[in-house]
Amino acid sequence: MIRTLTGLIIVLILGAVAAAVVPEMQMREELQGVGYSYASRGMDDTGSSNLVTAVIVAYRGLDTLGEVVVLFCASTAVVLILTLYPIGMKASEPSRVVAFTAKVLPAPILLFGVYFIAHSHISPGGGFPGGTVIASVFLLVMLGSSSVPDGKGRLSAIESLAGLSFGLLGFWGIMTVGQFLNNAFLGTGTPGTLVSGGLIPLISIAIGAKVASEFSGVFKAFRNTGGTV
Amino acid sequence: MSTAFYWSIAGTAAGLVLVGLWGVLTRKHILRIALAFTLADTGANLLLVWSGYLPGRTAPIVDGTFPASGIASAVVDPLPQAMVLTSIVIGVAVAALFVVVGVLASRRTGSADVRRMKELRW
Repeated sequence: MIRTLTGLIIVLILGAVAAAVVPEMQMREELQGVGYSYASRGMDDTGSSNLVTAVIVAYRGLDTLGEVVVLFCASTAVVLILTLYPIGMKASEPSRVVAFTAKVLPAPILLFGVYFIAHSHISPGGGFPGGTVIASVFLLVMLGSSSVPDGKGRLSAIESLAGLSFGLLGFWGIMTVGQFLNNAFLGTGTPGTLVSGGLIPLISIAIGAKVASEFSGVFKAFRNTGGTV
Repeated sequence: MSTAFYWSIAGTAAGLVLVGLWGVLTRKHILRIALAFTLADTGANLLLVWSGYLPGRTAPIVDGTFPASGIASAVVDPLPQAMVLTSIVIGVAVAALFVVVGVLASRRTGSADVRRMKELRW
């Protein structure tokens, strides 16, 4: 009772704050500041016709590197905890529907994920969503079989290689033009074509591989019955 | 997009944050608290995307439907969308950690009821 009342009071106070603050955020008619700069120069600067990807991978590539590190820390913590204290979800015999789906769907979903990553600079998508789509294939295959796959450390190897290549791509910029994660030193190509956007496609592939292997490792850890990730 | 729809998005976003907060404060099952937390997370993300909206504009992807010289007057703000992508990924990481710690704590106490997790009290 006290719990409900306290919750109600706090939510009401914050609701009043939101009701006062949010209407102040008037609809803008024109882009301003950084947003204007990104929108007007983004395509010429980076060669990426997807401006969101241009911001994430090129303009704020260092932030994205930090984000990848945060994700790495969280997934490592999850896998570590689940390895030390296995929750031992028994891999039961999958139903016929799941087993059939796990045979039919992986190929198209995998293709979709790879497309998502490879086309991140010209259409909606990117390394993070694409990597998650690929990890969902791993989850589907795992749910469709009664045994847990033993990765023999390959997932960790892919993850480490992907993270390393992200950093090395950044250092490539230092070696050539003296700027970490410089995007344009290879040339940016014609925006809208597959080979364009400077380093963006390469970094997207690295991010995609890293996210896919990390999430796959987390999924596997939830079914931990021993064996290396 | 009409003004009513524009403000209803803001209302939905603020509502999701409040409902999530309500759930975190009042629920007892630890997985429900985790779910409520992700609801609040979604609300915050929606509010960020909403703040980058400009009337009558399209997604920030140059696809030939508008002249490349007038990009800045044809697309919505790409910056909040990029920020939200970061926010979503961090949200997933936090939620995964939340669930794992929650499952462990419930194994330890034999119950998913947070009132029984006396070790977590302060």
